[in-house]
Amino acid sequence: MKIGGAYTLAVPQQRAYSLLQDPDVLAQCMPGCDHLTRIADNEYEMKMKMAISAVQGLFTGTVRIADSHPPSSFRLIVEGSGKVGFMKGDGLLTLMPEAASTEVRYEGDVQVGGLIAGVGKRLIDVTARLLIKRFFEKLAEQIALQPAP
Amino acid sequence: MISQSFEYSAPRTLAEALALLAGGDAKVLAGGMSLIPMMKLRLAAPGRLVDLSRVPGLTGIREQGGALHIGAMTTHYEVESSAVLRAKCPLLAETASAIGDVQVRNMGTIGGSAAHADPAADYPAALLAVEAKVTLARKGGERTLAFSDFLIDTFTTALEPGEILTGVIVPVEPAGAGVSYQKMLQPASGFAIVGVAARVHNGSVRIGVTGLSGKAFRAAAAEKIFAETRDVQKAAAAVPLGVEANSDIHASADYRRHVAAVYAARALNAALSRAS
Repeated sequence: MKIGGAYTLAVPQQRAYSLLQDPDVLAQCMPGCDHLTRIADNEYEMKMKMAISAVQGLFTGTVRIADSHPPSSFRLIVEGSGKVGFMKGDGLLTLMPEAASTEVRYEGDVQVGGLIAGVGKRLIDVTARLLIKRFFEKLAEQIALQPAP
Repeated sequence: MISQSFEYSAPRTLAEALALLAGGDAKVLAGGMSLIPMMKLRLAAPGRLVDLSRVPGLTGIREQGGALHIGAMTTHYEVESSAVLRAKCPLLAETASAIGDVQVRNMGTIGGSAAHADPAADYPAALLAVEAKVTLARKGGERTLAFSDFLIDTFTTALEPGEILTGVIVPVEPAGAGVSYQKMLQPASGFAIVGVAARVHNGSVRIGVTGLSGKAFRAAAAEKIFAETRDVQKAAAAVPLGVEANSDIHASADYRRHVAAVYAARALNAALSRAS
């Protein structure tokens, strides 16, 4: 499934880029994620507890950053699996400077399989967008909380 | 598949239900038309179900101070067939009659549907168009929220952990108001691919839309265009503008946007024909 969209972050491009590369920031913003453990350069192990409606699932997997072109673009690859199924998201994030803020455009592909995909087809698209929206909302909160260093 | 084992409680009072819910890992059972299938598929595995069907005061429809109070456990069939609602808030009754199938309407409840916040559920479109409120009970208190503030996002509401949605409040419609709910349904599930609820009174219109995006919403731009031009086609065409539309195997985003405009025009025309 193709996904795409844009969010504006209230920080300059360079700062937005470094925030999006920071595993602590990513961990705090990914819905249901506690922490990311570094396993290699730009590669982290993640544990994610998702709770949407009555569905609760524990996903384990990896988060990887690739094709870095600071400060304007990189690829974020998230893979996870759990009892209710598996998911893989591969997205290109492009950061466009806009005066004092940055527009982050994302474009990519999400694959969901297993039990949850078999029975939840109707809802995969809306749920993926909900999670992405929560990620950027959390990121905006983080930005509001921590002024630039 | 059989669900994982769980504790089942059928409290006789609201206080008891709230206490059981505070125990954590518990879900409210309010008809179970979404929750039970999810449990059988083992997508959901709550440790305890708190069945509200025996809690007194959560069913039925009563009129009070120009508003109709509908208990959370009132079934879709009861809403659909209520003489009071048919006369005083016909949009809700009409919408209830379009939900799922007979079995779902006999078991599913208005509170269950509102709290579940499925992006393709029928009720939210109507609840937005009639400017409904919901009452939420917690230990030692109660609060009332506009449904538009209650509905936050896909499967996401303002319900705090430990809170129970106890009822829905809708205003009595003034004489001369015209309403209609028009829905394109997905035949297997009965869910709306797109559903549009329209309510016209004194030349102004309220439009609630479900199924089109991640959550049901009021089509504010379309309402404004109608108020200014009284042009049904122009207003209907504005309903999907700027909306990030859902896409699934049944309907692409572009198709959904198209259907939304067509069904908005149908709902507006039907509501206008009933208004006076």
